Amino acid sequence: MERGYWIRSKPVYSTLVWQQQANAHIVLVEGSAGGLAAMKLFQQMHPEHPTKVLYARNPVVQQDLSIPLSKVVPDALLMFETTEESLVAFEAHLSSACMGLRIYVAGSERFIWQVAQMADKYGIDDSDIIKELVGTLARPIYCVHCKTISYEAHTNIKKCDGCGKQLFVRDHFSRRLGAYMGLMVDAEDPGQIPSIEEIYP
Amino acid sequence: MSTFKVVVSNIQQITPLIKQFSFIREDGASLPPFSGGSHVVVAMNINGRLHRNPYSLMGSPQAPDTYHIAVRLQEHSRGGSAYLHHEVKVGSQLEITYPNNLFALDKRARKHLLVAGGIGITPFMSQIEDLIRTKANYELHYAYRSQDHAAFTSTLKEKCDERIRVYVESEGLSIDLKALLSKQPLGTHVYVCGPNAMVVALIETARSLGWPENHIHSEQFLAPPSGEPFKVKLAKSNIEVHVPAEMSMLEAIEAAGVDAPYSCRGGACGRCELEVIRTDGVLVHQDHYLSEADKAAGKKIMPCVSRAKCHSLEINL
Amino acid sequence: MSLAFKKETFRDDYTYQNSAEAIRRFPFPFAEDTYMYSVNIEPHTKGPVGAVTEFAFDIDEHYVAECEDKAKTLALDAGRYQALPHMAEAQWDFLELTMESLSNDYPDLFSLKKDGLLWTWENKPLGIKNTFTFGDSTSFDMDPMEYMGRQVQGDFVLLDQRNGTLYADAGFITSQADWSLAFDVGMAWHEWHGPVPQVTKLGVMDRALKFLMALQLGAPVRRLNWTMTINPRLDTSPENYPLWGGDRNKVTIDNVGELVHLRVELQSLFRLPRSNAILFSIRCYLINMNELSTSARWAKRFHRVLKSLHPDLVEYKGLTKFKDLTVQWLSKKDDGAEVALGTHP
Repeated sequence: MERGYWIRSKPVYSTLVWQQQANAHIVLVEGSAGGLAAMKLFQQMHPEHPTKVLYARNPVVQQDLSIPLSKVVPDALLMFETTEESLVAFEAHLSSACMGLRIYVAGSERFIWQVAQMADKYGIDDSDIIKELVGTLARPIYCVHCKTISYEAHTNIKKCDGCGKQLFVRDHFSRRLGAYMGLMVDAEDPGQIPSIEEIYP
Repeated sequence: MSTFKVVVSNIQQITPLIKQFSFIREDGASLPPFSGGSHVVVAMNINGRLHRNPYSLMGSPQAPDTYHIAVRLQEHSRGGSAYLHHEVKVGSQLEITYPNNLFALDKRARKHLLVAGGIGITPFMSQIEDLIRTKANYELHYAYRSQDHAAFTSTLKEKCDERIRVYVESEGLSIDLKALLSKQPLGTHVYVCGPNAMVVALIETARSLGWPENHIHSEQFLAPPSGEPFKVKLAKSNIEVHVPAEMSMLEAIEAAGVDAPYSCRGGACGRCELEVIRTDGVLVHQDHYLSEADKAAGKKIMPCVSRAKCHSLEINL
Repeated sequence: MSLAFKKETFRDDYTYQNSAEAIRRFPFPFAEDTYMYSVNIEPHTKGPVGAVTEFAFDIDEHYVAECEDKAKTLALDAGRYQALPHMAEAQWDFLELTMESLSNDYPDLFSLKKDGLLWTWENKPLGIKNTFTFGDSTSFDMDPMEYMGRQVQGDFVLLDQRNGTLYADAGFITSQADWSLAFDVGMAWHEWHGPVPQVTKLGVMDRALKFLMALQLGAPVRRLNWTMTINPRLDTSPENYPLWGGDRNKVTIDNVGELVHLRVELQSLFRLPRSNAILFSIRCYLINMNELSTSARWAKRFHRVLKSLHPDLVEYKGLTKFKDLTVQWLSKKDDGAEVALGTHP
């Protein structure tokens, strides 16, 4: 395909910036890179509206930012060992939240879209969530053949966790599934697998 | 535009200024069902000139045997509301378009907050039917000037029960928008229809509280404002059309026998958009459709409500 | 009208064939010798008697076999039918539109009797008869969209209009040209057209969206789209790509006429009354090169279209492996004489 061609379903991420027009804020971050994104957010300002930060320490790659974060946001920080726990707390928060709550997330694509799916359940579109991709470019992959979602795809081709087919990782992305499409790479010519390269470190 | 002929089957005086008109199909066929918030455009031949005004459909959208619209007599009527109030009788024939919806409920909303001012209650008259039938979570807040303007209040109180709140300005009641919009559960959508000042105030309050744009819905039909006369050159048809002060550009183009696209005729839907080739003056944008950037760029115009302050305007039609 | 429904298959032994009459009415999409992607939308008004556009939904000699093929595809993968919860009302709109159209247009084959909300539907070719309550979710042992999706030829998507765009929030897709409903359901207009090449640049999709958002009740529209398929296979889904992808290697100059099919989609769009949703109906017609070449005009024209097709479209439509062979095969039918404008045989 020609240069400049962009698959419009592929999400474009930004950096976390406070939304001035708000009623309240909630910030969800994952791992050390997410912790740093939250730190950077509070470098911008401390918002006047009620604010919560949910910090899932894992996956911690290099650095645990619990202590600096707790200095910067002493009364608003909730810490969790895993993203699963922070998502449970997020849902509890959403169930009693009012319109005007601004949602911010920084983490892997898997985490970003877990947050988006949870918000969707409470009637908030992903387009209204401020999203920053940090830490890893690893892609969640939906196998179009057996419907299994495999995580941690770092390469252009990845074996499906469900059916074992070698899947070509496309740019076509489903927000509802939170995953890229994976299509059997050697369907036309069985056994002919192109070289596998790491392109989503 | 697909249209069909209707006959006025009933007229009711709702308030001193508001009349309700009921229509059945002239050919006896059943009327199409519609979705809550839909409107029809009513065509009226007034002294040889065709007027087309949009009116919200009221009542049950599911299997309507009759269409209902409510018309407020406008103080500075260009003819439409005065004609309906004074000339149209039971048995009169009119032509209407198929229903069209520019003010649809968002079916994914967890709660619907409806805010009406005065005659702006009309689109909600069908929306609440859909909301009640689907057992949706909703509230209706209805403000009007005085009991003289209290259209449909008793019907609504009966239908909506504890879900309606009424604010009568002459009794010192008004809607505290900030308080109302601050405490709505996540996933609420707000819908407003009423006087311009109310619509603008609600949209601004919701935005300042951090409501996403997609959760804020409004409907306002504009009557084509009069202005100074000007000339429109139609590039493709290669003719020049005079737009008199009291006629809209769209009406003038139609009167000249040129087929131009249109739908709502109230500056809301975007269907009649035309490309501006050049002008020796300025465009006077009056619609709710074009973005501020589009309006500033001056390459597009909605001829149903907008005009130009110029000697001559050339468009690609 | 009475139709002789053919007994034939769209898989395994592929016994599908077009009668002379079906070839004559085939919706050949190329009026000129070159092809470029365009919106090419026109009102879906009643076409000439016998044409595929005579009625809102076309029923032809392949009806029974195609419905059987749909049932097989669904039995193997229930995910070919999907509807998000807020699309319930649009489903009933779809049921009403298809039942009313078929019973009015083909009274010998279908009938609909209404007693208030108690409706009786009879489909004679498939031997189905049901009395049910319109709008009641317990009426069938499946959703209303699936119920009628199984009884009308073609694929169907219901589009919800909100946020200034259209969302593909429900669908019944068993004869698709390589796109997955299970993956795409819930996507906004620009997302599900994401993989279409060259197109966003040209602004075609933006204009089409704007046009469709203003689509009026009572004024449906249509357009033709096309691609090519090896074998008369309806289910060329990404789900089953491993089953049909390899067929692209089987084309030789000797079997082009039989194996290579032009696949034309008659796409029509209807505004639905109660839900304000839009029905996107995609009716697929298949014709192999031997059948196509029974019209000298079509063979010449298709030869020229295919030869000059933009490389991005060749890749996007999946024609890379067999395009050159097909052009070579068709070249023998093309004497180079001018072919007048128009799509007729």
